[in-house]
Amino acid sequence: MTTELDLVSADLTNTGLANADLEAIRHSVAHLLASVASPPSMLRVTAGEVAVELHWGPVTTGHPAAAAPSAEPTPRLVEESYVPEQTVLSGEPLATRGTSIFAPTVGAFYRAATPGAPPFVNVGDIVAAGQQMGIVEAMKFMIPVEADRPGRVTEVLKADAAPVEYGEALFIIEPLAEG
Amino acid sequence: MFTSVLIANRGEIALRVLRACRELGLRTIAVYSTEDRESLAVREADEAVHIGPAPARESYLNIAALIEAARRTGAEAIHPGYGFLAEDADFAEVCAAEGITFVGPPAPVTRQLGDKTAARALMLEAGLPLLPGSVEPLQSAQEAQAVAEKIGFPVIVKAAAGGGGRGMRVITEAADFAAGYAETRAVAQSLFGDSRVYVERYLEHARHVEVQVLADRHGTTLHLGERDCSVQRRHQKVIEETPAPNVPAEVTRAMGEAAVAGARYAGYEGAGTFEFLVDRDGSFYFMEVNCRIQVEHPVTEMVTGIDLVQEQLRIAAGLPLQWSQDEVQPRGVAIECRINAEDPGRGFMPTPGVLREFRPAAGAFVRVDTHGYPGYRVSPSYDSLLAKLVVWAPDRAAALARMRRALAEFKVAGHGVSTTIGVLGKIIDDPRFRGAVHSTSLLDEMQAGS
Repeated sequence: MTTELDLVSADLTNTGLANADLEAIRHSVAHLLASVASPPSMLRVTAGEVAVELHWGPVTTGHPAAAAPSAEPTPRLVEESYVPEQTVLSGEPLATRGTSIFAPTVGAFYRAATPGAPPFVNVGDIVAAGQQMGIVEAMKFMIPVEADRPGRVTEVLKADAAPVEYGEALFIIEPLAEG
Repeated sequence: MFTSVLIANRGEIALRVLRACRELGLRTIAVYSTEDRESLAVREADEAVHIGPAPARESYLNIAALIEAARRTGAEAIHPGYGFLAEDADFAEVCAAEGITFVGPPAPVTRQLGDKTAARALMLEAGLPLLPGSVEPLQSAQEAQAVAEKIGFPVIVKAAAGGGGRGMRVITEAADFAAGYAETRAVAQSLFGDSRVYVERYLEHARHVEVQVLADRHGTTLHLGERDCSVQRRHQKVIEETPAPNVPAEVTRAMGEAAVAGARYAGYEGAGTFEFLVDRDGSFYFMEVNCRIQVEHPVTEMVTGIDLVQEQLRIAAGLPLQWSQDEVQPRGVAIECRINAEDPGRGFMPTPGVLREFRPAAGAFVRVDTHGYPGYRVSPSYDSLLAKLVVWAPDRAAALARMRRALAEFKVAGHGVSTTIGVLGKIIDDPRFRGAVHSTSLLDEMQAGS
């Protein structure tokens, strides 16, 4: 693992990024690697807009399409709870778990505007970018939880009124099918 | 006494407070920004709450998030450390309203002493000596110019809301005054949202000496001796020591008594610091009060044997101080060097990066307060303090020798990371510092090669 990381750092030196940025990426990658259950067989880092890919199982070099990341915008910073793309053994297209929507602050998570009102969203709902999905309340400040991209809600991870910390995943949404 | 404390800070002071709590048998709750998720305070605390992203205003300055974290963890008290919300009277008020004990002075005391002009007026009433200058904030440029000319140049223009060495400017000639005054007001407005400034005489060869006080709720106010913090760069302290070398004992005794009188007059509670300037002739002048534990508190702990953070917690819990003034008997000499991740060759610019090597000094009578470890990432989001290296010895010569040895032992390395270790060694070896004939201008003089 260490060897790979050293290679990564060598590859990053000509990207024009500041050293501090490179250190941040290297740090995030090391953190990500430490948090996964089994070591990946391949690690790919693109430094321009910062993309990190982890692959498990044989690397599918014959199917570049399968290894390419999805068309979604890549996150600017690799977060602890970022769910890495996973390649299945056969090299078939990815079975992704979608994208997490995170808590904007520490506080109490509410699924509805008032107690007893219908939830902002339910599993299966289609949301638009910017649509409100919930509320996190901290000291009577109501901070809206909004979808950062369009998609379909596949999971609601926290119960109504549950305490959440900053950055905890609240929802999973998956991208809508093309066309 | 409360049984749990939320530590609303990060870095070395979070660990310092955590250790004091643990020794008192209190449950500890750390809070952290995304940037600090792997910090030692987070690892060591009984519980840790993720309160926000790296920028301090969204995490360590986010009152709502901190109170939420305290509520959900059942924290009965909050220790604010230094910096961030430590001297924010609004935060102290919110804590009180929420039924959480704020470890610090009561909000009205902090509010009054936090305003430098209000503090000057109050301490004048209490009988403390002030530098010649304006007591009330200046109303106009004309009035300011008149005051400056009356007291004589050089003068220093300071922001009423200033702190941490920011928002002040020395003006040496009358012709430069109008421009310097306007600029300080603009800087004060942008830094503190408050453009009020005052002017006082600037002492060029003064020493910065401060007095530590402790006051309980039962009418006992003690001073724990002084700290000389004259070695500064850009009005920020670099080396602190106690006792103040080459300052006559009767002067420091009078300063201690003045500080106690000022603290009593202000209704002070908890640990606080009264800052003074001491002129060459031994006259001293009140500058400001710091309503918090200070970075350099360990030197006082080393000579008095009193754990200041534990005392803060006890006082906040309503317990009485356990000593009389006569029982506070400082012994020996303690010196602290601030090891910052900065490049002295490039104007002390902060140098964030990952520490490949981090080996603190150790050995007899050496104390290191640090949140660093090998692999630690020095964040660009926060201040550059990496470690406080503190030594004790029976006398100053032995303390200087010990500090010299300890600095040589302290190894920090990492890609892009520089530290102040080298420049600290140069100061320790400087004949002016060794002879204790230095003033607050020492670092400027050293850099000018004089």
